[in-house]
Amino acid sequence: MGEAIVVTSGKGGVGKTTSTANIGTALALLGKKVCLVDTDIGLRNLDVVMGLDNRIIFDIVDIATGNCRIEQALIKDKRFDQLYMIAAAQTKDKLALSTSAMQAIVHKLKMDFDYVLIDCPAGIEHGFRVAITGADQAIVVTTPEQAAVRDADRVIGLLEAEKIPPAKLIINRIRPHMVKNGEMLDIDDIISVLSLDLLGIVPDDEQVIKNANQGEPTVVKPDSKASQAYRNIARRIIGDPVPLMNLQEQSGFFKRMKKMMGLG
Amino acid sequence: MLTNTALEPAGQDYVTIKGIKNGLVFKLADDVHFDKVLDALTAKLGNGSSPFSSGAKVTAFVDYGNRVLTPEIQDAVEKAFLAVGEIQVKVYQESMVEDEPVPHKLLPKAPYVYKGTVRSGQMVEHDGDVIIIGNVNPGAHIVASGDIYVFGRLRGYVHAGASGNVRAIVAAAYFEPIQVRIATVIRRSPEAYAHPAEMEFAHLEGDQMAVEKMSFLQHFQTLIMSDKAVI
Repeated sequence: MGEAIVVTSGKGGVGKTTSTANIGTALALLGKKVCLVDTDIGLRNLDVVMGLDNRIIFDIVDIATGNCRIEQALIKDKRFDQLYMIAAAQTKDKLALSTSAMQAIVHKLKMDFDYVLIDCPAGIEHGFRVAITGADQAIVVTTPEQAAVRDADRVIGLLEAEKIPPAKLIINRIRPHMVKNGEMLDIDDIISVLSLDLLGIVPDDEQVIKNANQGEPTVVKPDSKASQAYRNIARRIIGDPVPLMNLQEQSGFFKRMKKMMGLG
Repeated sequence: MLTNTALEPAGQDYVTIKGIKNGLVFKLADDVHFDKVLDALTAKLGNGSSPFSSGAKVTAFVDYGNRVLTPEIQDAVEKAFLAVGEIQVKVYQESMVEDEPVPHKLLPKAPYVYKGTVRSGQMVEHDGDVIIIGNVNPGAHIVASGDIYVFGRLRGYVHAGASGNVRAIVAAAYFEPIQVRIATVIRRSPEAYAHPAEMEFAHLEGDQMAVEKMSFLQHFQTLIMSDKAVI
């Protein structure tokens, strides 16, 4: 029996889909059998980030309505044999998927996969409620911005109310030089507000945007900093005690910045 | 004349009228034939001194006692009232004559203790004092009719003395609220404020809000007590 993990944030645009794609791919890299599920019905884009948009035949609403079997809607990744995804429907709206249907789908997927990663839509309405049902764990993604942290806090409260075990936190798009200058929220500040365990921090990396546009998750390119961050997160998920990248990553980054400025 | 006065009290006994907060209770005797009661009721309502003659809108609650309530009886009673005017007729229930609510300051309520983080969008509301053992995050709301004590970081919205108690206070280990209300006074947190490493509390001085170190609380309460003596 696998584990279902929902990736959520409350606020839109903080990197839920990018994180889902990258963590899923990183888990597949570690030899796990992974299924990514896009629940952002009407605004699907996990398939685009994964570069699988041209392979969609059936989607999650087709499974829910009985149009097809789960196996038919599973899209196999073009890079990894162990990686699959289920796309969201683009022409329906959020109400097309009920919590009970979602629960049944997730339960069935958990039988076949080690990890089921659920990409949650932004917001806290029906789509959010559907995405979190059936999840055993939650990952909350936030960025070092007040608005994102506040939305994350709201979502954590809702997850607690749904009796989902304490979520793990990913702080995305950190710009170390801005944090250093006090222009961006500090990691410790964010953790002190949200009081969650930190699963990882991901530096802001232009490579991520470039790769997402090419339909290629960043983790497949081992050279970028963000790629390393996502690989570490995946290792922590499978229980590997990767030393807390928090400080290490930061110091590494600072060193690089200093070198760039000729100080190192 | 004599016969009339002798008869009337007996007839009036069948119907007793009592005023309650939201209307009038008509208690109908349940130990005589209903026709007699109905006659007495009609007589009372037709009487010039009927409570409805003033034209004021009053709800009539009819207490049938132990009488078995049939639709015919209920219908006849309603008709008797409607003959007088547009009167709302309801069947009387015990709960309608509850005593006036006692002002809450006479009833010291147990404080509500919340352990854990109060997150954005969450609300803790209590009639009495509220004690939070944990942080109150931005976007969280605490509303209390009494005082609010936060043993942690206060960064949310708080409203103490919500039912009008101007003597309520808001205290926090780390006092950085977005907004504080005490009774009807609202204060925003100053943009730049050097927080002392000490617990603080907010209270009202007239219609101004003041924030003091916790060591001032005892003095503040003495002031309140002397204030009370004047009132």
